[in-house]
Amino acid sequence: MKEKMSKGKKLFLIIWVALILVILALILILGLPPKETESIKEVMKDGVLHDLNKMNFFGLSVNPAVISAYLVTAGLLLLAVLIRVFAIPKFKDVPGKFQSVIEKLVEFFWDMAKGNSHHRTNFIAAYIFSAGVYIFFSTIFELFGVQWMTAAGHSMALPAPIADINAAIAMGFTTFGMILVSGIVANGPKGGLRVMKDFSLPISMSFRLFGALLSGLLVTELVYYSVKLSFVLPVVVGVLFTLLHAIIQTYVLATLASVFYGEAVEPPKPKKEKKKK
Amino acid sequence: MPLNIDFVQLLLHMLNFVILAGGLSLILFKPVRKFMKEREERFKKAKEENEKAAEENALLKAEYEKKIAEANEEIQELRLTAEQDAADQAKEYLDAAKEKAQEIIANAEREAEERKDHILESAQNEIGELVIEATQKLMKETAGEAENRALYDEFIRVAEENS
Repeated sequence: MKEKMSKGKKLFLIIWVALILVILALILILGLPPKETESIKEVMKDGVLHDLNKMNFFGLSVNPAVISAYLVTAGLLLLAVLIRVFAIPKFKDVPGKFQSVIEKLVEFFWDMAKGNSHHRTNFIAAYIFSAGVYIFFSTIFELFGVQWMTAAGHSMALPAPIADINAAIAMGFTTFGMILVSGIVANGPKGGLRVMKDFSLPISMSFRLFGALLSGLLVTELVYYSVKLSFVLPVVVGVLFTLLHAIIQTYVLATLASVFYGEAVEPPKPKKEKKKK
Repeated sequence: MPLNIDFVQLLLHMLNFVILAGGLSLILFKPVRKFMKEREERFKKAKEENEKAAEENALLKAEYEKKIAEANEEIQELRLTAEQDAADQAKEYLDAAKEKAQEIIANAEREAEERKDHILESAQNEIGELVIEATQKLMKETAGEAENRALYDEFIRVAEENS
């Protein structure tokens, strides 16, 4: 009996406080004059082109994504060193929780590499592991909203590195270059030619990354821009367009890279077999 | 450049990623992979050893079972022999005991017979002496020698008839 009463009381309290908050919020939203520092057009344009907020990077004027990228790299390398120094020497045959996570991560990329490329697996596994970790954490990085000073002197939240077209293109071309070089190393000029026939790969890879991240960025920018939409929606949108993108893009790039790598380093089939077919 | 593509920044991103990829591979991926590979091999080896040991165990077990079966058979045989022996011995004892008993009985009977004869004999002698004594006394008091003799003979006759 007593429990029931307290339950009812709780419910009443929650509804009451919520009601007050909603009314207060409505008053604030409707009563405030729209004070816009940047127009939506400018925000969107900056989201795509990054030509407004330049930052200083060792004397170079760069887009914020460069700063983000190097911060992510520094953070990841620091983490890796910490894990290497403190965790890996203590690894046990029966893994604990932390060890399981690390092992699972390594195993995931290893299995993917093994599944798509049966030759020279070690290299591609390490590559897609790094690329996957980088894309995932650099996308997640956006959620932390790390503040940085722009060249103009005001601070802004750093974006996801891959949302910058330069980073996306760099990623695509680095991957393509890696596959090309691996093909040449494995099969000589023939292997290189085999990779070159997929010349659209780096472009598609770059723009897939860029497009996916950018679309998320634009939608979140839109949602963040409007005060009226800034109550629950940003959480949903942020999670949808950041976390999901992070996971999907990691998976897509890792898979594509390992598939093309597998094709490039595969030893040429003996001619006899071809004749039989 | 269109789309604000900037080669310097593009190269900066590439440099960043190359640093990261090399670092992560060397610091994190390879050691973890090495650890996992070593563990896998260790487990594989342990599994093989276990299988080998299990095989050996199975062989040993079979051997032991065979030995135990043999031992059981032997024990059974020994027991049978022992039982047979015991039965034989018991019979021997019994027979010996019976024989001895019969001997004892026979001895006893013979002894009893002897004793009876002896007793009878001594009784006869004693009676005879008593009679003679009594008769002498009587004769001294009453009759002459001829009568005595007649009486005496008469007595012997009667005694012989009665015995």
